[in-house]
Amino acid sequence: MVKAVRDVSFHVDQGEALGIVGESGSGKSQTMYSIIGLLADNGIATADKVVFDGQDITPGKTDKQTYEKKMGELRGNTMAMIFQDPMTFLNPILKIGKQLTEPIKNHMHVSESEARTRALRLMEQVGIPSPEKRIDQYPFEFSGGMRQRIVIAIALANAPKLVIADEPTTALDVTIQAQVLELIDELKTNSNSAIIMISHDLGVVAKLCDRIAIMYGGKIVEIGTDREVFYEAKHPYTQGLLNCVANPEDDEDKPLEPIAGSPPDLLNPPKGCPFVDRCTKAMRICKDRAPEVTTFSDTHQCACWLLHSKAVTK
Amino acid sequence: MSENPILRVRNLKTYFDVTKGLFAQKQIVKAVDDVSFDVMPNETFGLVGESGCGKTTLGRTIVKLYEPAGGSIEFEGRDIAKLKGKELISFRKDMQMIFQDPYASLNPRMTVGEIVKEPMIIHNIYANDQEREDRVVELLKIVGLKPDHIRRYPAEFSGGQRQRIGIARALAVNPKFIVCDEPISALDVSIQAQVVNLLESIQKEMGLSYLFIAHDLSMVKHISDKIGVMYLGHMVEMGDSNDVYHSPLHPYTTALLSAIPIPDPDIAKSKARIVLGGEIPSPINPPAGCPFSTRCPKATERCHKETPKPIQVGNRIVSCMLYEK
Ligand SMILES: Nc1ncnc2c1ncn2[C@@H]1O[C@H](COP(=O)(O)OP(=O)(O)OP(=O)(O)O)[C@@H](O)[C@H]1O
Ligand SMILES: Nc1ncnc2c1ncn2[C@@H]1O[C@H](COP(=O)(O)OP(=O)(O)OP(=O)(O)O)[C@@H](O)[C@H]1O
Ligand code: SF4
Ligand SMILES: [Mg+2]
Ligand SMILES: [Mg+2]
Repeated sequence: MVKAVRDVSFHVDQGEALGIVGESGSGKSQTMYSIIGLLADNGIATADKVVFDGQDITPGKTDKQTYEKKMGELRGNTMAMIFQDPMTFLNPILKIGKQLTEPIKNHMHVSESEARTRALRLMEQVGIPSPEKRIDQYPFEFSGGMRQRIVIAIALANAPKLVIADEPTTALDVTIQAQVLELIDELKTNSNSAIIMISHDLGVVAKLCDRIAIMYGGKIVEIGTDREVFYEAKHPYTQGLLNCVANPEDDEDKPLEPIAGSPPDLLNPPKGCPFVDRCTKAMRICKDRAPEVTTFSDTHQCACWLLHSKAVTK
Repeated sequence: MSENPILRVRNLKTYFDVTKGLFAQKQIVKAVDDVSFDVMPNETFGLVGESGCGKTTLGRTIVKLYEPAGGSIEFEGRDIAKLKGKELISFRKDMQMIFQDPYASLNPRMTVGEIVKEPMIIHNIYANDQEREDRVVELLKIVGLKPDHIRRYPAEFSGGQRQRIGIARALAVNPKFIVCDEPISALDVSIQAQVVNLLESIQKEMGLSYLFIAHDLSMVKHISDKIGVMYLGHMVEMGDSNDVYHSPLHPYTTALLSAIPIPDPDIAKSKARIVLGGEIPSPINPPAGCPFSTRCPKATERCHKETPKPIQVGNRIVSCMLYEK
């Protein structure tokens, strides 16, 4: 059994963007899929509590059928998801137009022709060229980036309370990425949506997010405001991450400094700190016991034994 | 002495017929239109540009997944359109591709071991299965996966882990040239740095050349010797990567550079981006004149009428009226 996510807690407020950054395979997607009830058939989520907009949506609290029905409704109406891979969302054998107008008709109760007009406007808003022509095409006729913008257009149709974006701009080039980030930022300020942005791109998160959670090996190892995480990083993993970003202003002959090693196998998660095998500052205790959380401010917390009073005073 | 390029692309055109219905007017997407460039042995040529500008199509045409509509591609001095029999088979081995989409490019019913081993079997390059098995384990280690991942299926891996399986598969037959289509965009930064360092060290060791397609300009600048900037099927600027980054000539390159997200919240949240107004053109119906003219902040009347030709400016090649004398 893969323990993809273990003991993770966080909150997001209306009109706020929380960034979730972390190693590939650290459990960012699985965290979100547990919350929104979209785990694969072989997945089990348990949680003490998941509350969305005042409603208890903790998995395992009610029977499977009731839970899935409720989550289906929430996902259709007040939550929007933008996935890493647009084709998990788009139907390959349906025209783009149909995939856009169906949700618009369902949620806004407008006529077919009104829905089509709105769909065209949305396509224009996310920067699809010649929407009138494109609306009758199939997903395979779109480039990767254009498919992703269709998924975002579908999400935008509903002014949702919560937007969960899983690497939404990974396949996009920077001018379109900037545009998409501005679209998501607009959802935040205009519709007061809460945003959870999963990304491995520190630049994207720095631009969009008010608070940032750093995940590693299925755990949140550090969480804080954007400035706390970037300028006062406490966790050795966060610090390493910040050190291996290519800075375009640097001279390139300087090799990158990747964090050596690979993430832990979550089939057998380490007993102590998940980062222990790659950490250059690890101590004996790190192997045996999960680090306690140290609080630096109302917003800034970090789980690392180096911050324990005994290690600090040493 | 100047070396011969390993890859020589001249006036390459790849078009798609997207006509709908029997009596409809013919509609053609000019996905790659009149593109020329060279890649030298041991060199990395970085390709950047907007989503839909034709980067993947260009890469796929080079590995012979698409038939060009015009122009020529020479690999090691031979026109790849004319390759037959043994030559074609050895081309298929020497030229590998790492795909953009780590989800669609791996067969879900094969184990990781089988996926990496398959090209070795097709090209019959190891003496026996034990040797192949050993090489698979070695390759998995090179790309940062664990030997016991060999018996797992792609669905059990995260996006980033799947991309590394794709890299191991491409390396399995010791190619001379790899078209890397967005190989690191799905990876997190510590692994991106590892993969980039990995690609660089493999290049040094085995003397490989890369066509490196990415939208992350910071990383493209880091890994590439030369950079080509594509827009709407055209190569609009091309030159040494430092020159292109530090003094972009084409207005599109300038806009692209201004949109790079900087990993520093104070800078990122305050940085002004050159907003590209105007209509984003469609490759089905490209604008008259310069392909960038509908969005270019510096466009003059001439730009809407005449198509700029590639001009040499120092070491750079740029297709923009501003540099015509
Ligand atoms: N269906 C599945 N069955 C078994 N294990 C899985 C499944 N899906 C994911 N995992 C495992 O769960 C862990 C977390 O995966 P997850 O997809 O959440 O990572 P991630 O942080 O989103 O990574 P990435 O940035 O690469 O998308 C990984 O170790 C992965 O191998
Ligand atoms: N098989 C196809 N049939 C019809 N049109 C296609 C096909 N493949 C690509 N196109 C079109 O060709 C153009 C170039 O697409 P391509 O996938 O090469 O872009 P790209 O630069 O790789 O974009 P991205 O960065 O989004 O991956 C697009 O307009 C696309 O819609
Ligand atoms: S707890 Fe120990 S191993 Fe983990 S990051 Fe802190 S010092 Fe390193
Ligand atoms: Mg993920
Ligand atoms: Mg592409």
